[in-house]
Amino acid sequence: MHIAVCVKQVPDTTEVKINPETGTLIRAGVPSIINPYDHFALQTAIELKKAHGFRVTVISMGPPQAKSVVQMGLALGADDGVLLSDMAFAGSDTWATSYAIAKAVKKLGKVDIILAGMQAIDGDTAQTGPGVAQQLGIPQVTFCVKIDVDGRKIIARKLIDGGYEVVETRAPALFTMIMPPDYTSKYPAFLDVHASLRKPYHVWSASDIGAENHYLGLKGSPTQVARIYPPPQREKAAMTNGSSQEAVEKILDIMRKEHFIE
Amino acid sequence: MPSMDAISRNLMLDSLRDYARKNIPYDFIREKDQANEFPDKVLKDMYDHSILGVHLLMVPEEYGGVSGGTYDIYRICEALAHIDLGIATAVFATFLGTDPLNVGGTEDQKKKWLQRIAKENLMVAYAATEPDAGSDLVNLRTRAEHVLKNGQLAGYRITGNKQWISNGGVADLYTVLALAPGGPCWFLVERNMEGFAPGKHEDKHGIRLSNTAALSLDNVYVPKENLIGEVEGQGLLQAQAVFGYTRVMVAAFGLGAGWEAVEQAVRYSQQRIQAGGPLSDKQGYTHKLIVPHAVKLEAARAYIEETSNRLDGGEHGLQTEGAIAKYSATEAGNKAADDAIQAFGGYGYTRDFPVEKIKRDIKITCIYEGTSEVLEMTIYRGRWQEHLKSRGRYYIDLADRMDALHDRNPEVGARAAGLALRALAAVMEECRVQKLTRHQAITFRLGRLISMCELAYVFAGASAKERYSESVRFDTQAWQAMSRIFARDAALQMATEGLAMVLGSVDTAGNIAAAVDMDGVQAVQKGMMADMDLVAVKLKQTFKAK
Ligand SMILES: Cc1cc2nc3c(=O)[nH]c(=O)nc-3n(C[C@H](O)[C@H](O)[C@H](O)COP(=O)(O)OP(=O)(O)OC[C@H]3O[C@@H](n4cnc5c(N)ncnc54)[C@H](O)[C@@H]3O)c2cc1C
Repeated sequence: MHIAVCVKQVPDTTEVKINPETGTLIRAGVPSIINPYDHFALQTAIELKKAHGFRVTVISMGPPQAKSVVQMGLALGADDGVLLSDMAFAGSDTWATSYAIAKAVKKLGKVDIILAGMQAIDGDTAQTGPGVAQQLGIPQVTFCVKIDVDGRKIIARKLIDGGYEVVETRAPALFTMIMPPDYTSKYPAFLDVHASLRKPYHVWSASDIGAENHYLGLKGSPTQVARIYPPPQREKAAMTNGSSQEAVEKILDIMRKEHFIE
Repeated sequence: MPSMDAISRNLMLDSLRDYARKNIPYDFIREKDQANEFPDKVLKDMYDHSILGVHLLMVPEEYGGVSGGTYDIYRICEALAHIDLGIATAVFATFLGTDPLNVGGTEDQKKKWLQRIAKENLMVAYAATEPDAGSDLVNLRTRAEHVLKNGQLAGYRITGNKQWISNGGVADLYTVLALAPGGPCWFLVERNMEGFAPGKHEDKHGIRLSNTAALSLDNVYVPKENLIGEVEGQGLLQAQAVFGYTRVMVAAFGLGAGWEAVEQAVRYSQQRIQAGGPLSDKQGYTHKLIVPHAVKLEAARAYIEETSNRLDGGEHGLQTEGAIAKYSATEAGNKAADDAIQAFGGYGYTRDFPVEKIKRDIKITCIYEGTSEVLEMTIYRGRWQEHLKSRGRYYIDLADRMDALHDRNPEVGARAAGLALRALAAVMEECRVQKLTRHQAITFRLGRLISMCELAYVFAGASAKERYSESVRFDTQAWQAMSRIFARDAALQMATEGLAMVLGSVDTAGNIAAAVDMDGVQAVQKGMMADMDLVAVKLKQTFKAK
């Protein structure tokens, strides 16, 4: 089987600062990382490769420096890398991005499994993976913590409220991944990083994947971002303890003081 | 070796930092530090080519390594120093130990040994220092006697003692400096060779996670193929040839550990409330204990980067530059760590906070790979030659370039750097005329002033660039303010100290007082307070409280 893994380079949101005056993100000096959910998807693909001898292709869409996440995939054991990079892609929303990735997957030829992260930590939309499945007209299973393959049958363990659901489907299908509690991320050894430079790596433009320009970038994006702003700081919560009776009394006291109730 | 592409380098840095995050928490380091224990599992992983393989940076690709350049190694050394300088030293010793092979080894030797180092994850030690030969290796006592077989040279018997050898008790392979009949040379000695015995793990002030031991060699037989280069008498030249490069590594240690201390102090100062507000808002505190160190460390960074790039670009030696890089970065780091304890107050004086350990650790960087005083001497010697050769123009030319830079970009402190360089040229010339370099103290002092002025020169140039290198965590506004602060300080110190130094050693001074242009130096001090304020704010933004 052939697995395509979708990975995105994102700013390390734990390091992102917001300019208090303008409300915009200060990107300078913020390190870029592989989206953690995609990192897990990548590791899942590599494990399937090890277990079954599958072929793994890493795909990312982004500016030239996003090569980094593709190369990381190659260093961790993927066979080929593809970066979709073109000014025409700039400003794409999740719809336009799904369109471009779906086009790239088609160009790859026969792909049996597509793995993506549940969501990217910079946008938190969780739309791109499902969008790709929709564009390709294949089944999708979201929020998966584990994937097993048995012939053409794929068994996914999907996280749901309060437990797991076991979902079976047939290839080709797309899965979005979320880390199980016992997960540890893997990083490549120095030698593997070095060796990854010799693996096949391609940069594809919009025309390389046969994408139509009016479906791409800002003009191909139905979503328009009006404004980004930090949510107002929440005031400190007051905690009450003691018996429920005492706690209720205290809360009522506070509500009276703040004139919520008389 | 030229450096690798930025993406590969940063992927390696990410892997290293991730390993440290998961496996080397402060509690672990603290425990090992107190127990004076070598963290062998961590070092095994660092040397395991399937886990990290940091040592492969020193091994060329054709022998199974990753062919790191100086810039790559500087970045990795800096990152290691942020983690722990003892662990960093345990990696560095292999870098050092591998160097004589890389520089002087024959093709067969490189193939055999570098491949083994890469594939078998060998830990190496570099054994030059002896009980009676420290800064001055000419006093070398360890002997290598010829062993003949059928009248032909078959090998050597090595006898002697080595002192303070990093990885001494734990290495698999040792590059040992010994005096053969044809002069000093490096020999490859394996741990299990008969007559070879490492001493106990020393009880040190700092870098207690690094194993340091004496070595005793009693008639250790090595085949002649283990003489690096297979020609006697090349040892000191081979050692000298890489000083530019190895000193950049220790410079990166001073930079990394020094910054770690400053970063911790900046974060802490935002949480610690005294007299109604966070310490980070108190100028008397930030402008004394934090800002000056951040500025000096960044000046040293600019210099380290320039030297690394020149080495990677194919320039050879650069011993004076390597000395300036190491001297400035380690002295700046050491003082920064000292003030970081001060910035933490009583808490800084306990082992609950890492700054106390950083302070103990970082001191070694001012001692090994050339003590600060030996470097002052080296720097003076290198540049004194330039001063004489150029008939006093060397620093005047640099000053002219600074004036030209100031005309293009008045924001980087180039005017002040130019004043510093002109004063330096004047003071050096006065020293020549009055024969003042007969005083060793003056030569060392010159070494220090030269370093400072050259840093001002390089920092101004670097901060004027359109794009900064990947390691700079500040924006243009902040980095240029730092460069201005550094240059003003350099001009002031150069002028006052240079003058005082000359006046203190002569009966009648020439026109040196006029030559240092004190009025100009005072004029460029304008704006200093505002710049210090700005840098204090930028530091807070860059290193937020956790
Ligand atoms: C923890 C540790 C690890 C080390 N690791 C290694 C290693 O792996 N391999 C190795 O070969 N060595 C190693 N060394 C040795 C180190 O490089 C030496 O300690 C250093 O070169 C200084 O030599 P010394 O200790 O003999 O001091 P000395 O040379 O005796 O110096 C003592 C003092 O005198 C000053 N001084 C020296 N010469 C002069 C002079 N001509 N004029 C004025 N002042 C002078 C020095 O600056 C210093 O302040 C290590 C040392 C330590 C402490």
